[in-house]
Amino acid sequence: MPGVPGCGGCHPGGGGMEFDRDGKRFDKRLAAEPQLAQSLDGDYYQSKWDKTGVVEADCFICHLPGYNFKERNIQLQNLNFKWATVAASGIAEVTGLVKDDQQPKVAYNKRLFNENGKIVLDLTYPPPSENCVFCHGMSDAKKRGFSWNDRVNHDVHNLRGLSCAACHPAIDKQHNFAKGDENVSSVRNDLDNTMKNCRQCHTEGYMGAPRPKHLSIRPNHLDKLACEVCHIPALHVAAAEGFDVTTGQIVNYPKVGAQKIGERFTWRPRYVKGGHKGEKIWPVNPMLPVTYTNLNQDGLYYPLYGKEIGKGYAKIKDKLEGKKPNRPELHTPEEIKLMLAALSETLKGNQRFQQVKPFYHKGGEIHFLNDKGEVASRKDDTWVGHTEGFNINHNVAPAALALGANGCGDCHSDTAHMFKGQIVTDMFGPNGKPVTISAGRLFGCAPWAFSLNQFHQLYLTPYVSWGILLLVFVLVLHYTGQGPKVADFYAAPGEIQRFSLAERWTHLVRLITFLVLFLTGYIFFYNNVTMLRLFFGSPAAAVIFHWVAGLIFVAASIVSLFLWYKDALFVSYDREWLKQHGGYIGGKEVAVPAGRLNAGQKIFFWLTVVLSLIMGMTGILLIFKSSLPLTFTCLLSTVHGFSAIILVAAIIAHAYLGTIANPGTWSAMVDGKVSRLWAKKHHSEWYKEITAEEPSAGEGKPE
Amino acid sequence: MALAGALMVLAPAVVSAKVRTCPPFHLKTDDGKIINPLTGENADQPYSTRQTCGACHNYDQIIKGYHFQQGWDRIKDDFSPKKPWVLSDGMMGKF
Repeated sequence: MPGVPGCGGCHPGGGGMEFDRDGKRFDKRLAAEPQLAQSLDGDYYQSKWDKTGVVEADCFICHLPGYNFKERNIQLQNLNFKWATVAASGIAEVTGLVKDDQQPKVAYNKRLFNENGKIVLDLTYPPPSENCVFCHGMSDAKKRGFSWNDRVNHDVHNLRGLSCAACHPAIDKQHNFAKGDENVSSVRNDLDNTMKNCRQCHTEGYMGAPRPKHLSIRPNHLDKLACEVCHIPALHVAAAEGFDVTTGQIVNYPKVGAQKIGERFTWRPRYVKGGHKGEKIWPVNPMLPVTYTNLNQDGLYYPLYGKEIGKGYAKIKDKLEGKKPNRPELHTPEEIKLMLAALSETLKGNQRFQQVKPFYHKGGEIHFLNDKGEVASRKDDTWVGHTEGFNINHNVAPAALALGANGCGDCHSDTAHMFKGQIVTDMFGPNGKPVTISAGRLFGCAPWAFSLNQFHQLYLTPYVSWGILLLVFVLVLHYTGQGPKVADFYAAPGEIQRFSLAERWTHLVRLITFLVLFLTGYIFFYNNVTMLRLFFGSPAAAVIFHWVAGLIFVAASIVSLFLWYKDALFVSYDREWLKQHGGYIGGKEVAVPAGRLNAGQKIFFWLTVVLSLIMGMTGILLIFKSSLPLTFTCLLSTVHGFSAIILVAAIIAHAYLGTIANPGTWSAMVDGKVSRLWAKKHHSEWYKEITAEEPSAGEGKPE
Repeated sequence: MALAGALMVLAPAVVSAKVRTCPPFHLKTDDGKIINPLTGENADQPYSTRQTCGACHNYDQIIKGYHFQQGWDRIKDDFSPKKPWVLSDGMMGKF
């Protein structure tokens, strides 16, 4: 088929298209030893090198603007090897095909030559990007949705005028080019990372690269995410979802939802953690394999060649009902059994193997025939199942389109792709349809922990503000309906020492640190980076504030436990207090018995102590979350967040009751003293205790 | 006038910024003979990049690069014990 890349689609000539395994030119050797064409020598078997010529390195593929790559492929497919460059460069017209046993003729375009007979070409160095795309266009579109000079599938470096060679310059005299860090292909890994990476250019300002400070991004994100995660939020060219070799031919499948590879189609990457980028998360296109191997006696899973698979498929093709012959998409146990049985039969006698045991790899599982001849399946733990996917590093979006440019909700929301996007894990699952999974699950979080975290993120977080407002509204209703307890409306002088200095300081420390924790935590809850910067300068500073305040709060909570635990022990008259709802409900004041702490305060005390300790423990562990398993951190952050909601609600109620609902109470936390009237009114049993120690103290005093 | 003068001074720099790496050159046949379509000298022969470009550039050194070899120069039977079907770290010899 003219125009479809053959060997020349990847090979610019030279190397294996010019020299045989012994380093001799194909054409010259075959001319000298014509019998080689009749031999079983793989380099020469049935070849016509003496007529086709060889494919020398075609310098014009890269350096000649306007080079006609399609014409080159046509020439190569017609075996006009040494004429391919002549026709594709446009320097001459070539007629006649070696494939048809013709001798090609050449007619040079004389307009390209000067009066001395020398050709005048506008060769460029470095090569124009358009020429690189001859080879890298479709192959990288398939692997990762790549395109260049594409306004829709844009790349910010391309938009700024950078060419391929700007980032991938020649690094030696052998025309090797600076290479990134391709993770799937094992092609020349020794050349990996010979180009500048994102961080290098954008910290050095190389070639005028902007040097972003990322002040609006939480610092742990910069440690955990590869730059590409945020800066390549979407691709707009359909890549391959995967491929299936069941027919013996490689059948590529476009992204689910697209009609064909390379067409306009917006999709978002899968994110993987670990692998070649250390512990960072980076975007990939997994390109799911549907393929076959044979488990040989040496314990290795050998990939089957297309012709080996094709033989098996030919045996069952007519037995498959309702299938497109070129897209069988085997997914039922019956179909898989049929194919594996056919392969078991056709592979018998195959000299590549000492043992015939074919395996079918699909959707992260391997299927094989057990001893009873039935299909058995298990997770694909072979090399096929370990592919990380093709990493995505081109088509970088402008910063304004990067994830996070519109706030944390770009990822942390119920519609964001980062966690809620559906990722195809099997192109044809048990029912023949694609199987998907939430993107967040792929980070390695156990399903139960992920669901718990999602419940917290999706069903609690959005309503926290409303919940707080509702609580405040209820308290306002209480204040306006029930009214404050009027015991100290007369501002009687404080005569009784209610709280010691240590108690007041402890309370003050808890109060101040709580306010810091509430402010930072509340903003973290909603991931409002603007507010973090407004109050703390940067998210990083806010995190430090939160950590330090948290540690002090926990320490103060432990001190308060020792200070008040005796007073917080429940006694019999607390039942009466609870029965009367503390006198807070009913529209009129009633006398309720209470010790130094009333039953409500005791409940509040134990509740906050427990919650403080839970939040302290989870919070301290979360400081080191990058070293912890994801499932555990998922659980920790959920517990931390959920506890925070309860604690905040309790403290708001406590603040209400400790101030306007009970005038005169707050002064106890300022100078430590309360009036006799207040003490008798609110803490009658305690008042009795302290007045019993001073017999005349309670007598003759106004009430 | 000043602007015109400035442009004249800058003109060479502007021209040189567009790098033209190769001056006019003779195309050459497989065996190194000059092709001159104007005189008809070897004008029915395809040019050879080895001979043409190699007249100024080190062709044999350049084709040692990966893009030309694609792994052909690194193929060996025991390249990967864990994946014996992979014979090189290039596209040639790779499954």
